Amino acid sequence: MSYSTFNRKKFDSLQEPMFFGENVNVARYDQQKHPIFEKLIEKQLSFFWRPEEVDLSNDRKDFLKLEDHEQHIFLSNLKYQTLLDSVQGRSPNVALLPIVSLPELETWIETWSFSETIHSRSYTHIIRNIVNDPTKVFDDIVVNDEIAKRAISVSKYYDDLIELVSLYNTLGLGVHHVPERGEVVVSMKTLKKALYLTVASVNVLEAIRFYVSFACSFAFAERTLMEGNAKIIKLIARDEALHLNGTQHMLNLMMSGRDDPEMAEIAQECQQDVINIFVEAAQQEREWAQYLFKDGSMIGLNAQILGQYVEYITNIRMQAIGLEPQFATKNNPIPWINAWLVSDNVQVAPQEAEISSYLVGQIDNDLDGADFDDFDL
Amino acid sequence: MTTLISNTEHQDQTVHRVLLGKKQILVTEDEPLLPQLERAGVLAEYQCREGYCSACMIKLLWGKVSYPVEPMAWVHSGYMLSCCAIVKSDIEISML
Repeated sequence: MSYSTFNRKKFDSLQEPMFFGENVNVARYDQQKHPIFEKLIEKQLSFFWRPEEVDLSNDRKDFLKLEDHEQHIFLSNLKYQTLLDSVQGRSPNVALLPIVSLPELETWIETWSFSETIHSRSYTHIIRNIVNDPTKVFDDIVVNDEIAKRAISVSKYYDDLIELVSLYNTLGLGVHHVPERGEVVVSMKTLKKALYLTVASVNVLEAIRFYVSFACSFAFAERTLMEGNAKIIKLIARDEALHLNGTQHMLNLMMSGRDDPEMAEIAQECQQDVINIFVEAAQQEREWAQYLFKDGSMIGLNAQILGQYVEYITNIRMQAIGLEPQFATKNNPIPWINAWLVSDNVQVAPQEAEISSYLVGQIDNDLDGADFDDFDL
Repeated sequence: MTTLISNTEHQDQTVHRVLLGKKQILVTEDEPLLPQLERAGVLAEYQCREGYCSACMIKLLWGKVSYPVEPMAWVHSGYMLSCCAIVKSDIEISML
């Protein structure tokens, strides 16, 4: 079945599953099968911010004063963040939009991915402000072996799903001979399995990998260094907390069978695969910590502490989707991170758009002359 | 044991016991559990403090809590979000 940008069939979208049902036709949001995705859209829109709002002039001075190994930690972390958001700024759209079947989920995917492009723009803003030649930093993302390893693991499941869905859309279900790949089985089961593993892998990317990078960014700010950068990362962290809510809901809805009973069977069958995705990612993040701190650690953070944080956050994220924690670390080794992650103090001035409680357009139009009766000039 | 405490300045306050390991903390229904845990010196996780990030999720072993506003995070049975749950009876919790 090929994808249609406006499905001409008449059907009740409230009866469709999240994925692999009818292609969405009318973008309507007055009713939702899963209201959570509408809430996520509203929340994400209320969070809108732009990196240029944050002044980075002091960060440049701070960066020049950092020791060489600290510059390595800061720049490598920034390169990793750039990689992650390069993937996230496009992949939910490319992989999930052709197979989504609910209007609210379709728009959540677009809103989610768009916010990742703001994050990518932030890294450009930061890099442009702290180094003379941004190209050197950006080019290294593609050629650096340590970053390349991460690129493979964060894009693998997306790429598998995209390949399978494109075969499904052009050739339909069946066993297809693909040059250089041999026989590829395209069945609803293989498609749904690829989808389930992709969502799990994205959850790991946003709920674990990003948080490891946040820890590094905030460790500088704990020493009152690179504080403009930390302010931007705080805004990014607020968005990522929403995004991980989205993938946790998708996974939990799939597992519960409330959305698509066949998906619950697949979730059951794939449980060990998902556990492996989490455990392997944690191992990769620990190896990344070794690379970051290879030339020396910094006050408050080293490879061992960051490794413990990886284990700790992995346990928490596994429990959020009903999986048993796999690591012994029970306590947060860097409790100071919470004060940086907390969203409420992102901005205290209510006229600024990035305070989460500030709502645009909340003006009371129901006024008449009598409301000004007690005004004296 | 849940008790009613008369306070001259405020109205009557219902106080519940929160058991956490060997610790016992007294809490009221005036605000969510998280700030009360923090005042009692308990190191508790948090991020958004408004129910969407699930960072403050802890195990609710027994007892009753309620959410004045339904949180956006998925709450599995046997778990609770400390940032936005009001304790409604004596409860026992454990950190993840």
